[in-house]
Amino acid sequence: MSLDVLSLKIEFGGGLELLFSNQRSHNVTIPSKVRRDDSTSLLPLEDGIETKPADITYLIHHLRDHLLKERSELFIENKTVRPGILVLVNDTDWELEGEGDYALRNGDEIVFISTLHGG
Amino acid sequence: MSSCGNPNVEGDSLMPKRPKYDRSKACVKCKLNTGNIVIRHAVYCKECFFPLISIRFRRTLESHVNPTPQLHRRKGLKASGNLLVGFSGGLGSSVLLDLIYKTYLTPNERQEGDQNPNGGCPWPNVFVASVDISGALNAAPTSSNINFQQVVESYSSNFKCISLKLEDAFDLIWWKEIGGYESQTRGFDIVNEEILLRALSDDSSSPAEYLRTYISSLPTSTAVANGIQNLIRMLLLYTAASKRCSHLLLGTSLTSLSISLISSISQGGGYSVKEEAYEEWSYRKNQETINQSVRVIRPLRDLGTKECAFWAWWCRLKIVRKHRYLGGRQDIAALTRDFIVGLEKDYPSTVSAIARTCSKLTTKEDSDAKCLMCGRPVQAGIQDWKHKISIRSYSDVNTDDELPQHVRRPPEAPQSQDIRAFDAITSRLCYACHTTWTSKGIRGGTTKGTDIPAPVWVNAHPTNGELWTRKRLGVEEMHAAIADSLLDP
Ligand SMILES: [Zn+2]
Ligand SMILES: [Zn+2]
Repeated sequence: MSLDVLSLKIEFGGGLELLFSNQRSHNVTIPSKVRRDDSTSLLPLEDGIETKPADITYLIHHLRDHLLKERSELFIENKTVRPGILVLVNDTDWELEGEGDYALRNGDEIVFISTLHGG
Repeated sequence: MSSCGNPNVEGDSLMPKRPKYDRSKACVKCKLNTGNIVIRHAVYCKECFFPLISIRFRRTLESHVNPTPQLHRRKGLKASGNLLVGFSGGLGSSVLLDLIYKTYLTPNERQEGDQNPNGGCPWPNVFVASVDISGALNAAPTSSNINFQQVVESYSSNFKCISLKLEDAFDLIWWKEIGGYESQTRGFDIVNEEILLRALSDDSSSPAEYLRTYISSLPTSTAVANGIQNLIRMLLLYTAASKRCSHLLLGTSLTSLSISLISSISQGGGYSVKEEAYEEWSYRKNQETINQSVRVIRPLRDLGTKECAFWAWWCRLKIVRKHRYLGGRQDIAALTRDFIVGLEKDYPSTVSAIARTCSKLTTKEDSDAKCLMCGRPVQAGIQDWKHKISIRSYSDVNTDDELPQHVRRPPEAPQSQDIRAFDAITSRLCYACHTTWTSKGIRGGTTKGTDIPAPVWVNAHPTNGELWTRKRLGVEEMHAAIADSLLDP
């Protein structure tokens, strides 16, 4: 029997924390099964709604809807992170883990780093 | 996906999307560990990542350290002067400072394949300079300027901090302190496309006020961004000269180099594309007979911002400057940045191709004249050429001789305050600087500024002749210097 919720450790770096109450580290709990359209409504899933295991794409939407304090266009673009934002899954580049399709597991550490502040 | 086209129509059909990494998830270097990072399609583990980055940094830098490459092979690394590091507190320069510290100031951590068997630092003194630009924004100094010294000093007492302010560019006291030639406060008058230099009608303002007048006289937001960049660059060069530095290192990454190359070319800076990547700036100090030079090197120009960001994250570097780019800016550099960063996300190799291609460009003939404003080469005959290609109205043309009879203007009445002597400096500005000042603003009008304060170095020139001249590298020296950067990683 899998868990109903996943507990994740989220970190922001490179100035991205400024959009999240200027706090670098957050503990976030999300449902393990989510709506396929990435809608983050906290209402219970009803019969007939298409679902999927929670992945990073869902997490990005969840962070935007429930944690982000300002200017969501600086974080999310075309259903993924904005170009220039790097993502690490348990200390590894998310490009090696399937990017947004990576299925989250309880206890995962996800890091978002902005590279947009130049030389 | 970033492109100029309509994303809804064209989508990914422009270029087929490639997988982000080549074969397997194993590290291509040690072939043992599972990878932690993908760098332009190649997979590396965390252990192999650090030596990879530090080797690329040293390969870019170390062939330029000794006055001639031959000396390097025999005697190890020894520079002919001190080192100045330009530090903005942003990602690139934070990584640069960390690499300099770990490579040259903690000798026991040095790695194998060492090109400097004698160990130690190739420069007798290492200065770290930051330029506070809050004066341009009429704002209080930001906290990052206060944090700057803390960050730098936390590394090593061997780093000596230099705090510069953007308004120093208009400060005769600063100019005197660093040993500049006798100068005076003069300003530009921009009359159509002619730029004149003459005494300011009010020469009692503070450097900060001069700076703000200067910034507010620039015709477009692109010109403002360029103007500030140029002031920073010249402040760093003159500071390097005053501290007897043979090298100025900047934290420009491959990504930011590609951005500045594209945006510079698009604004008429094509003639100095080579100088965007590598430059030797020479000067002669007061009372001295021989020329000295400062090599401007960007040791991170083989590293993308991704590698820099992973280095900074894994080394837990403190990035003190976070605000520069918050989006929404509409000048050419900001738009180019959006484009390049988007391109890099999906097609990372394309961005390195931009920098590589530009490093192969050379200009047809060499130029000895350098621009009064930015110190970069002035293309011979540039004004003639500009006259030929520009579409202008008759009212832009200055001399009545060139006008047909029916549009000749009546002779202008002499203006009483214009008896001040002036130097016409149009021909001594590079195409890019000239265009910056004479470009049409958003309202379409030609700038017609008068009494625009000129930076101190511009003032020092005309009365003293070509004393701060720019020397090009010999062909052989140049080839040796760029050979390494042309090799594939
Ligand atoms: Zn490895
Ligand atoms: Zn110029």
